[in-house]
Amino acid sequence: MEARVLKPVLGVYCAAFILFLYGPMIILAILSFQGPGGGPQFPIIEWSTYWYQHLLGMTPPGRISRLPIGDSLLRSLTLALMTTVVSTVLGVITAQGFRARFKASGVVFYLVILGMIVPGVLVGLGMALLTNMLGIDRSWWGTAFVLHVVYTFPFAFLVMLAIFNRFDRSVEEASLSLGVSPVQTFRRVTFPMIFPGVLSAMLFSFTLSYDEFSRTLFTSGRQLTLPLTIYGTFSVEIYPNIFAFGVLTTLFSFTLLLIYALLMLRAVRSAQSFKGQEEAE
Amino acid sequence: MMEIAGEQMRSAAPAMGEDNGVSPAERRERQERRTALMLISPGVLWMTLFMVLPMIMVVYVSFWTQTTFTVEPELTTDSWVRFLTSSTYLASTWTTVRIWGIVLLSTLLIGYPVALFIGLMVRNQTLQTALLVICVIPFWTSFLIRVIAWRPMLGTEGAINMILMKLGIIDTPLTSLLFSEFAVLIGMTQIYCVFMVGPITFMLSRIEPSIIEAARDLGAGFGRIFFKVILPLSLPGVIVGAIFVSVMVLGEFATAASLSGRKVNLLGNIIVSQVGSLKWAFASVAGVILTAIIAVVITALLRVVNLRKEM
Repeated sequence: MEARVLKPVLGVYCAAFILFLYGPMIILAILSFQGPGGGPQFPIIEWSTYWYQHLLGMTPPGRISRLPIGDSLLRSLTLALMTTVVSTVLGVITAQGFRARFKASGVVFYLVILGMIVPGVLVGLGMALLTNMLGIDRSWWGTAFVLHVVYTFPFAFLVMLAIFNRFDRSVEEASLSLGVSPVQTFRRVTFPMIFPGVLSAMLFSFTLSYDEFSRTLFTSGRQLTLPLTIYGTFSVEIYPNIFAFGVLTTLFSFTLLLIYALLMLRAVRSAQSFKGQEEAE
Repeated sequence: MMEIAGEQMRSAAPAMGEDNGVSPAERRERQERRTALMLISPGVLWMTLFMVLPMIMVVYVSFWTQTTFTVEPELTTDSWVRFLTSSTYLASTWTTVRIWGIVLLSTLLIGYPVALFIGLMVRNQTLQTALLVICVIPFWTSFLIRVIAWRPMLGTEGAINMILMKLGIIDTPLTSLLFSEFAVLIGMTQIYCVFMVGPITFMLSRIEPSIIEAARDLGAGFGRIFFKVILPLSLPGVIVGAIFVSVMVLGEFATAASLSGRKVNLLGNIIVSQVGSLKWAFASVAGVILTAIIAVVITALLRVVNLRKEM
């Protein structure tokens, strides 16, 4: 009887929690359509897309300076792509190495996992100190990039480890011993099996790097990445143009997520149709 | 990609030879181990050079001599003495620990019922996944934007004040919502709650319904079932969630920088401001202390349950 009361109560609570999660973003999205003279709060004096135009540099220069996002966006995208490629490759080969048993595997496992645990501000500080001592210039494509990989590589590694754990090696060996060429075996057997993992590792790496700033703060040198530009506005007065930016960058993240979901769906479908064929035979 | 393909083929090749009795199992194992070491070495090298070395550097520089604008590699404990005798730095250490404790508790108290609903009450697989995805999606959006989104919520002319005034609960807007410790706490709770909900939901969804039914058939009330069956079985999820939340909250500085109006100074904020004024040695001391706190917290949490056994 208690459970009968509890379930709807928890259901309502869960709905309230989801509102708590999304409420601020919804308010932010509404306020991004504030009119030209309005502030970063209610009431909305006039509905307009003024701040979006302001963000994209389509309004005449005025009192409020434009967010310098153009160059930093390009840097962040490049950095995220570089990080995605390197950490996915590192993740795949390291997880592949873990398929065989070796003595130091425990230590190596924790060494890699530490990368996602250590606070960004600490490794950032350490990297800044190291480059100071060695006299190396800091840059987003150098010092910041290697730290981004330190952060995203463990995610890619864990995802691939999970995939390889469920991976039946005998399928690969069967394919080879049945005379299928190695290239064909990789294309038809190995790749479809690890594809969902590679895709997830790439999504993790890209999103985490694109959004990363605590590791970048001390290590990017003079040229700022996108999150650093946003972080710069923390100490000054904010205007609705940053809300407009928030909406656009959220839409960008959702687009990535959607592409990922569609690719995953396709992979699952083709795996199912393959299974169907097997059963039909 | 081709490299990986090559690796797998190379490791598969001796397996075929083994059937003919050409290569003994031992040689194959040795070969495999060599391949494995080769495969893990780039990752190990990367982590050693770009994570372990910088961390050692932080400890090392904390003993350097700080002058006005530079640090000299002459070893001294001056920075340590200054940190440990300064009420400002000690206060920020205490603030960090206090905020961590409150956020950990609030994410657990707010997140657990949500996990209970999604993991245990919703038995429809599709709905369960959908709810979990809804909770996780904000994780994929920009962290800084989620922090900033609290400003128009909590401000004097913000959404919460507006709603409370419309409802007639208050007459004058509350001014202490934004730029206060409360703002930092609510911001962090909202942002990190997902990391608590996820692992707990995962553990709860693995509980066999028949166990709870058995307890109920034997006459246990919900309270008794919760404390004797559900809570112990979900404990590994709570610990994993607590580790996630702890590590992230302890290393935080952005939420405090944006929402506290400089009223809350965490160790992370100390590090950022010290680096800003080129006080590298002090920043390093704060870094070492932060590392020590995190290490103690994680060790203590891992003591509670043996994760390796439970997972």
